[in-house]
Amino acid sequence: MAKEQTIDKFKLAFLEEAREILVELESALLALNENPNDTELMGRAFRALHTIKGSGSMFGFDELAGFSHNLENAFDEVRNGRLKVTAELINLSLAALDQIKAMLEAASGRGAADSGVSAEILAKLRRLTGKSDTRHAAEAASSSPSSFPSSSPLAESPAAAVGAARDWQIRFSPGSDLLRTGTNPLLLLRELKQMGSLRTKASMAAIPPIGELDPERCYLRWEMVLTTSAAREAISDVFIFVADSCELTIEPVIERVTESVIERGAEPALEITAGAKPEITVAPAAGQASIPDAVAAKPAEKKPPPWGRRASDTPDNASSIRVPAAKLDQFVDLVGELVTMQARLGEIAARHEDAEVATVSEEIERLTTALRESSISIRMLPIRATFERFRRLVHDLARDLHKEVELTMEGADTELDKSVIDELNDPLMHLIRNSMDHGIEPADRRLAAGKRPSATIHLSAQHSGASVLIRVADDGGGINAEAVRARAIEKGLAAADAQLSENEIFNFILAPGFSTAKQITDVSGRGVGMDVVRRKVEGLRGTIDITSKAGGGTTVTLRLPLTLAIIDGLLVRVGEAYFVLPLATTLECIELTRQDIEKANGKHVAYVRGEIIPYIRLREYFDIKTKQPEREQILVAETEDGHYGFVVDQVLGDHQTVIKNLGRFYRHVELISGATILGNGSVALILDPHRLVREALRSTAARPRAKGAAV
Amino acid sequence: MSLTLDQGEALCLIRLKGEIDITTAADLKKLLLQALASGKDMCVDLECATGLDVTALQLLWAADREARGSGRSLKLAGPVPEEILAAVNDAGFESFPIGSARK
Repeated sequence: MAKEQTIDKFKLAFLEEAREILVELESALLALNENPNDTELMGRAFRALHTIKGSGSMFGFDELAGFSHNLENAFDEVRNGRLKVTAELINLSLAALDQIKAMLEAASGRGAADSGVSAEILAKLRRLTGKSDTRHAAEAASSSPSSFPSSSPLAESPAAAVGAARDWQIRFSPGSDLLRTGTNPLLLLRELKQMGSLRTKASMAAIPPIGELDPERCYLRWEMVLTTSAAREAISDVFIFVADSCELTIEPVIERVTESVIERGAEPALEITAGAKPEITVAPAAGQASIPDAVAAKPAEKKPPPWGRRASDTPDNASSIRVPAAKLDQFVDLVGELVTMQARLGEIAARHEDAEVATVSEEIERLTTALRESSISIRMLPIRATFERFRRLVHDLARDLHKEVELTMEGADTELDKSVIDELNDPLMHLIRNSMDHGIEPADRRLAAGKRPSATIHLSAQHSGASVLIRVADDGGGINAEAVRARAIEKGLAAADAQLSENEIFNFILAPGFSTAKQITDVSGRGVGMDVVRRKVEGLRGTIDITSKAGGGTTVTLRLPLTLAIIDGLLVRVGEAYFVLPLATTLECIELTRQDIEKANGKHVAYVRGEIIPYIRLREYFDIKTKQPEREQILVAETEDGHYGFVVDQVLGDHQTVIKNLGRFYRHVELISGATILGNGSVALILDPHRLVREALRSTAARPRAKGAAV
Repeated sequence: MSLTLDQGEALCLIRLKGEIDITTAADLKKLLLQALASGKDMCVDLECATGLDVTALQLLWAADREARGSGRSLKLAGPVPEEILAAVNDAGFESFPIGSARK
């Protein structure tokens, strides 16, 4: 039972890894489509397929392994220059990739893979590769090797790779952790031995003096010559589980190499063989000098051979570990609780005025801050993987819509909380589909408008305070504001005579069921997409901003919080109520006296070093009915709409804020992004300055000159 | 498996029994260091060993080198089982890690 569970765990790990490899494969294929002659990309695609095949067969996913094997063969041909990269091959490979994905999903119990599709893809693949067809035939009928030219001039011709036995030089240098991970290199060597005739030579050059020797580390390196009819893949498959933690080269032997390693044809230099009766008692000291001197001395003299290229590829193999996201979430939750408790301790310490307690409390505060920061950074991931995923979408849609579209990216290394990234996929997909279908015009219309026939969609990510701005920009036809307006009036979303700003008009696009498309296509037009975008982004406490220029394209900007868990806040008090404002958006605090208010003629504006800052009085806004103090404070915050002030009674100081959800009943309250529990156990609401200002501007616009005040 | 060290008057005898692998590697190292520190000549008895893995092979090889360096000898005592020889062979050692001539 326990064993089965272990196997299941391995299978799960494989499935997860395979999904990641597929992402890598997809990006390699798409990049290859653009640079069909890039050998590095060909190698990447090949390696990805190879790994999927190898691990797949190891865990019993035979169908998957067989299917990938065929694809891998095709890319081996590509890599060796025998097959050209064409759009047809790429499209077929992408279809195959989808099929592998379906197989993986089927393996994890979701859906089923249609084997008819596999057969169809493979048939197409065989037609495309032609050559690899003969290779398969040859493999099947390996009993009649006379059917193909035995004296192939090319050392690495397919015939040589499969048919006749040939020599491979293998250099294997295990990583330092190989033994600790439970791998026994002897078993690997024995596996190789079963593939043909193997001559092995261990190099002891790296063994340190016994006193310094780490007994659990492998210091031995091996050079081998394997004579086998198996293909290179079969050889490298032996090493599939150690490939990441070792240096490995497998090369066909050409004369030069042969000389340097082990003399061809010579019997293994090892004198003691299993066949000889083990009557070696005590070996004589001298007389037995049967080892060729040259061989024995070589490892010590020779410079270390150029062991493979993996060393430079992955300099630090063991530097990352895989952790289930749920464990991370739990960890961050606990840190959150700790932050809350620490705040409480801080408050108690401040009340007791005990120097010792205060010191401990401050130390704990310092540690908690560090812990909080590192726990958050653990959850941060670059958005690249999400961005890269859309290359495929753009490629496929461009083909279906007969448009030429290039996807460019910027700031893909920008890091965001994992939970935010997870939620971003859908909104971005809808935005890109929209751009492709509605935004970007057909090539002839683009040419007529004096634009390049090939359109661009630009995905970018950028930090802005405690937020990240993610933009999807296209250089298409832009949004027809008049059409949107007309449709909004038709749908009853706006009064016929309403004076609407461009911004407001564009916001109608986000309404559920809103579409100006005259025709519903497969891609978009149902008016569902943008509503999904809006709901997802709002769920993440983000905002959407749409700008568009007729004929010049549309840019949709998503502003998202960096993290959903803990923020640095500024704790303020208004009467008996506590609020937290995000520290990242706060610029400064200024005193607001009665005189200042009088000077502004009752208008809600303050003069800060010559700049007029409109402010929102939280006391009035939230209708807090306590006595107004003589002096108040303005917190000046940077919002999307410029600098705005928030007037409070007192600024209490910075506060590490664990964001707690307000719960289902309050989910529609937009101005508040959550609540937090203070040291004394009371609750403070976390305000969203952007939304607060937006809401205030909207209400001011709705009742112009209401009180002659800004708000 | 078991590892023992018998110190005679002029000879240290190291007996290795059963599977000598990574689980015993640290002990084997300790034992070999102890034997080397004794300043006596050394013998390794593998008659009852059933297997040697890479860790054992490299330890024995290193001990042998050390012994030679200090002008002493590390030799095999008694016959070596077939599977041990097979392991040495498969591991690509040109000669037995201890007791064989070396340049």
